[in-house]
Amino acid sequence: MSQTIAPNDVSLAVDLAGLKLDNPMMTASGTCGYAYEYQDFVDLHTFGAFVTKSISVEVRKGNEAYRIVETRGGMMNAIGLANVGLDAFVKDKLPQLVSMRENGPRIVVNIAGHSITDYVTAAGTISQNISVDAIELNVSCPNVGDGLVFGTDPTMLKKVVAEVRAAMRDDCKLIVKLSPNVGDITKTAGAAVDGGTDILSMINTYTALAIDVNKRRPRIANGTGGLSGPAVRPLAVYLTSRVYREVAKAAGVPIIGMGGIQYWQDAAEFLIAGATGLAVGTALFVDPATPVNVMTGLKEYLAKQGVTDINDIIGTLKMPGDQGF
Amino acid sequence: MNHVSEAGILLVMSAVSTSNESVSCRQRHDGVVVSNRNICREHFELTVRVLPGDKGGFGPTAPGQFIQIGCRPPAKVLDIDALSGDEFEITEGSWPNLKQPEMTQRLALLRRPFSLSGRWDDEQGTCIQIVQRVVGTGTQWLSELVEGDKVDLIGPLGNTFTLPADRKLGLMVGGGVGLPPMFYLANAMAKAGWDAVGFVGAMTSDLLAVTWADDKPQADGKPVKSVHEFAKHAFPAVVTTDDGSIGLQGRITDGLVRYIESLSDEQKQQAVIYTCGPHVMMHAVAKLAEQFGIPCQACLEQTMACGMGTCQSCIVKIEDNNNPHGTLESGRNWRYKLTCTDGPVFNSTDVIW
Repeated sequence: MSQTIAPNDVSLAVDLAGLKLDNPMMTASGTCGYAYEYQDFVDLHTFGAFVTKSISVEVRKGNEAYRIVETRGGMMNAIGLANVGLDAFVKDKLPQLVSMRENGPRIVVNIAGHSITDYVTAAGTISQNISVDAIELNVSCPNVGDGLVFGTDPTMLKKVVAEVRAAMRDDCKLIVKLSPNVGDITKTAGAAVDGGTDILSMINTYTALAIDVNKRRPRIANGTGGLSGPAVRPLAVYLTSRVYREVAKAAGVPIIGMGGIQYWQDAAEFLIAGATGLAVGTALFVDPATPVNVMTGLKEYLAKQGVTDINDIIGTLKMPGDQGF
Repeated sequence: MNHVSEAGILLVMSAVSTSNESVSCRQRHDGVVVSNRNICREHFELTVRVLPGDKGGFGPTAPGQFIQIGCRPPAKVLDIDALSGDEFEITEGSWPNLKQPEMTQRLALLRRPFSLSGRWDDEQGTCIQIVQRVVGTGTQWLSELVEGDKVDLIGPLGNTFTLPADRKLGLMVGGGVGLPPMFYLANAMAKAGWDAVGFVGAMTSDLLAVTWADDKPQADGKPVKSVHEFAKHAFPAVVTTDDGSIGLQGRITDGLVRYIESLSDEQKQQAVIYTCGPHVMMHAVAKLAEQFGIPCQACLEQTMACGMGTCQSCIVKIEDNNNPHGTLESGRNWRYKLTCTDGPVFNSTDVIW
């Protein structure tokens, strides 16, 4: 702490089980489309990794309007996994996406499905493209009929993870995105690790309900929706800390933390709690340059903390009862 | 654009043209409030200046386009101490002092979309004007802005109204917060040498967000130069209120029908209807347009989060035979399009109302 460190001397490079990123900043699936949507607003090359919206085997038109509603400190959405489908994605969207990979972000494709076959088909097909660095499994979308089954049942989760891992290109990493809508998240985290996931990402949105009190009806067409934004941050930080301490650290499986990251302070909390990667979601809707701003703030913070390598702060949380607390 | 609900609602107009390549100048800008005028009950006319040096200045705009305004104090992300992460500042012997703005007041998280009601450039930069109605947390914050306050905005966004080359009479039909884009459109029509009539409607007189001119609105729906925003271009207006407190008592379409019926066939063939306002109003206007065989461009609005084509919230069903998402009983194919980037302006006959 005694010697002065310049913010620009701080290294932000991280290694997620072999997925090497120039910096930990990623996009949260579903908040950044297929990437090109934001290119007028931010230099996407500055991100550590880019994560697409969920791709399903079939075309999905999504839910009826209204699809979102703002609640205090957060937003609820039930988009319904609207996407172009696997074939159109591979043909039309993926080439554009991987073209920014050179000197730019690693490419992560998020996939969703209704069955193990769906997941295996999508992961197998997409991972054939050697520019796809990782596949992220959305096993926890709360806005489609049966999406939560894989995300909440450890036995099912382990099975789908193992089959998807086996179907993928070997050097393509597998990320499992965990649902917070479970009784004990260490169970599902453990199942994903046992199934062979390389990386965990957490969390997906919280199932929530907002009511129009005049009509006495839900405020979004789907009824319930997924809550995201600053309102969920303390909940997400808690779950990240638990999974890191009880599952991920011992297993050597890195965590991508997300949930309400808007400022560098939020990102720092996730790092200290045990996250190696950091994803920005809802805040991208407000300002696509949020990850860049967070990075700038993180460098200043780490310099002030006397830390030259971001990895030195990951998982450094001391809780009551810990040695040295 | 209208801002209808607590979450951002986008107002949209329908653009006839499918080419909306004017999106390339979209940027986030820092703006400074020039003025914020209370026009009538719940309505404010906000003028913001973007400096010429701010990312090359504000891009070119046209009527129908909108901006997304951050309805909260702009983030000082680089000020390492301003948001120290402490939500409470605890001083011994006193109650905790709430430090973070989220803890002390209701703040809008998402931006809110607003149609431009005007835009002009001078040596000090670009002035952008909107008219907004206070309906929730974000618009309340906006209404309290004073000269010199800083705002954070994204724009210009969306496509534009178009003026077909073979026509020259614009019927501008704006209800409630659908009026502002009509003011900007009137400006464009005057420049293009069109004739135009404004149709202005609201529930009651003190909710009409207009500046009154010399002529008094006529109870029989006769167009006169009563609304300054149109009269300054020598365009007359027809004013309707649901309660008859000013102008013609009735719906905006009552005034529109009377006017269209007064036109010759030749004049009708010169006319284009432009509309923005509540969905039911625009639907009624679209039906009238179809009935009289007059083309109609509707600037739609829908709740949106980003305004940049990403969040997939501001969907609208538009007739489309190319990769349709569904088919109506009538056999029409439709596809969900985005109000923010495919619109907000659509041909009224393409909209699945």
